[in-house]
Amino acid sequence: MIGTLLKEEPIFRNVSRQRGVFNRIPLISSAVFFFLSVAVMTAAEINPDKPSYGDAVVMGSIGDARTLVPILASDSASSEICGLVFNGLVKYDKDVNIVGDLAESWDILDGGLTIVFHLKKGVRWHDGEPFTSYDVEFTYSKLTDPNVKTPYSGDFERVEKFEVIDEYTVKITYKEPFSPALSSWGMPIMPRHILKNEDLNKTSFGRHPIGTGPYKFKVWKTGEKIELVSNHDYFEGRPFIDRFIYRIIPDDATIFLELQTKGVDWTGLSPLQYTRQTDNDFFRRNYVKFKYPSFGYTYLGYNLQDPRFQDVRVRQAINYAINKQEIVDTIFFGLGRVVTGPFMIDSWAYNKDVKPVQFDQARARELLGQAGWVDVDGDGWVEKDGKPFEFTVIVNQGNAERLRTAEMIQNYLKDIGIRVKIRVLEWSTLINEFINKRRFEAVLMGWSLARDPDNYDIWHSSKTRDGEFNFIGYNNAEVDRLLEEARRTFDQRKRAAAYHRIHEIIYSEQPCLFLYSSEALSIISKRFRNVEVSPIGIGYNIIKWYVPKSEQRYR
Amino acid sequence: MKEFLNNKMALVGLDFITLMIAFALFAPFIAPYDPSYIDSKNVLAAPSAKHIFGTDALGRDLFSRIVYGSRISLSIGFIAVGIAVLIGVFLGSVAGYYGGKVDSIIMRFVDIMLCFPTFFLILAVIAVLEPSIFNIMVIIGATSWMGVARLIRAEILTLKERDYVVASKVMGANGAWIIFRHLIPNAIGPVMVNATLGVGGAILVESSLSFLGIGVQPPTPSWGNILMDGKSTLGVAWWLTVFPGVFILLTVLAYNLLGEGLRDLMEPRLRK
Repeated sequence: MIGTLLKEEPIFRNVSRQRGVFNRIPLISSAVFFFLSVAVMTAAEINPDKPSYGDAVVMGSIGDARTLVPILASDSASSEICGLVFNGLVKYDKDVNIVGDLAESWDILDGGLTIVFHLKKGVRWHDGEPFTSYDVEFTYSKLTDPNVKTPYSGDFERVEKFEVIDEYTVKITYKEPFSPALSSWGMPIMPRHILKNEDLNKTSFGRHPIGTGPYKFKVWKTGEKIELVSNHDYFEGRPFIDRFIYRIIPDDATIFLELQTKGVDWTGLSPLQYTRQTDNDFFRRNYVKFKYPSFGYTYLGYNLQDPRFQDVRVRQAINYAINKQEIVDTIFFGLGRVVTGPFMIDSWAYNKDVKPVQFDQARARELLGQAGWVDVDGDGWVEKDGKPFEFTVIVNQGNAERLRTAEMIQNYLKDIGIRVKIRVLEWSTLINEFINKRRFEAVLMGWSLARDPDNYDIWHSSKTRDGEFNFIGYNNAEVDRLLEEARRTFDQRKRAAAYHRIHEIIYSEQPCLFLYSSEALSIISKRFRNVEVSPIGIGYNIIKWYVPKSEQRYR
Repeated sequence: MKEFLNNKMALVGLDFITLMIAFALFAPFIAPYDPSYIDSKNVLAAPSAKHIFGTDALGRDLFSRIVYGSRISLSIGFIAVGIAVLIGVFLGSVAGYYGGKVDSIIMRFVDIMLCFPTFFLILAVIAVLEPSIFNIMVIIGATSWMGVARLIRAEILTLKERDYVVASKVMGANGAWIIFRHLIPNAIGPVMVNATLGVGGAILVESSLSFLGIGVQPPTPSWGNILMDGKSTLGVAWWLTVFPGVFILLTVLAYNLLGEGLRDLMEPRLRK
């Protein structure tokens, strides 16, 4: 599904997770950590150096986590950490195939209506308790509990029956075929023995998680750092790197200074940092840079409850008035692509026949005029019923590219007589006080997308509750129907047809202004070996990373 | 006056302030470009004949932005201090003239206000209200009047025993008349010194707020937010932080020099 929102990115959902792009820091892919794949292990063996244990990897991030209850985590920082502490039943490998994680194997029966998972035996929670099918059942019950504010419930609504066959076997029956079914079980599994009597929305577990993953939670100092230590009993083997330290540094220029003093080993880079600031001997000697397509896109979302934005001509006018390619060229130095729809640009779901409209301010003015917005008094701003067209775009703090994008939008819209104000807000305030409470006119944000193109949670009209992802309030009966249909079939051709149509409808209706998908840019210290980029990002094989003894920096 | 004219430093301060005021008043004539004109072909250009201070990350002309930014910085400085002086003079003179309980209540209130770390109080208030130029002026003014109140009260405590005040009272003048007619005009000297220094302080507070991203919101240029914007490009475009930084420094310095000069003038006892 979809991912997560925002900031950077979203998260995991279905197995996929990624991070990245968007969001605050552009970058790192995180995708994955979650998936540490088996395939990768072989890479380590090929390497001539002998891997050694020890050292720590310090990741620099702009944003702090919000909660470490994995089914509530919807921002990239939280997801990143949850991805290291927890496992799902399945995950993606580096070639984007679904492989077992906590599940040893699975059988798909009845033409996809039933999935039987055979779980790995001998897996233990970080506190030593054994992992069993009751934990999976518990996680499922919380995902479908209406009192739990999880944005991921949409993937589990089609489940008809969840049965525990024995301690290591679960059987899931769907009411109707559900194409993202298998990948939806990439959702992290939570420990029943700890959480069974807790209210997930309030539990202290959110700050002291216990999982099955390669890293164990150690400490979380709010706004400062989250520290994890390696799980020596991890079922895929003990990670070589002993500690994972997630440093929260709410400013990307400061993170950059930390890179220069080697206080941070791994972080995302801005396009400017990538192209110009790291182009020198120091960085070439000490770091490796990575660039790969990100899994998400940035958009300007309108609050469709606002009567001004209910007129499709207004939204189309804005689309004509903004030169997206110029934004990509100016702000990203060309390291990004203009997008026209809500799918990953390289995926089969993306409709390449939907062409972006040409930048045409005359056409924009004409559409605005048809909608009744005309500059009556000649002051350069359009009015309707005597009121000027003025709205506020909210944007998160700490993302310079996003703020600049907002300024460019402001400038383009000024040319067609719409006055835009920009308000920069701290991330959690933005989400909790403005997005979730629908107190916004327009928001500049990004989505990180999962591998499966099922976009149900973002676009279906039923997903507008507090904490859910359709906060712009999009409602189109045909899109709803197509979303439902597309997830009901396993036939990729049929799904593609549905998604292509959704893409077309959404682009013509412009419930949000699709802007760009920027490249994910990140930088990692050279002392780490086995780091490689894959279609699911960097970090998917973090348990195989190691630092030769002679180069270790931390004890 | 002659002493003042002999005070070279104060004159330098005054000259610079005059220049800044000219920038602010005549910004459209002085700035070579529209400060919000985005030139995507000319991003982060170094200072040159065409753009004497260079351009920012969106290709906007930095000199033009600084010139327009002077409007924001100076108006916030003046208006915030204006508000502080009004509040301070009013409360200080009432406290000083009436004395007793009124004095105690007002002066304890002043003590309470002084206990707050002003900058954090401002941060908290802005977080609740929307950051706008108007809010920032009012908040800075509303949190910086205590010095003025204390100064004017102290002056009035001595002035109110003077014969002319007593004479006025005898003739039946009421408190308001005496305060506004006799006391404030005579007590205002030190306040003006304090206010001049305060303008520099207010400019600095505005810059700090904008630098933290909760002051003047884009695209309105203010020196603080130009500086903040430049921070993310510090490694490749020094001009984006150096020029606004220098302007903030010189302006605050100029107000301080002028304030010092005025103090020397007003307090003959300090004269050598």
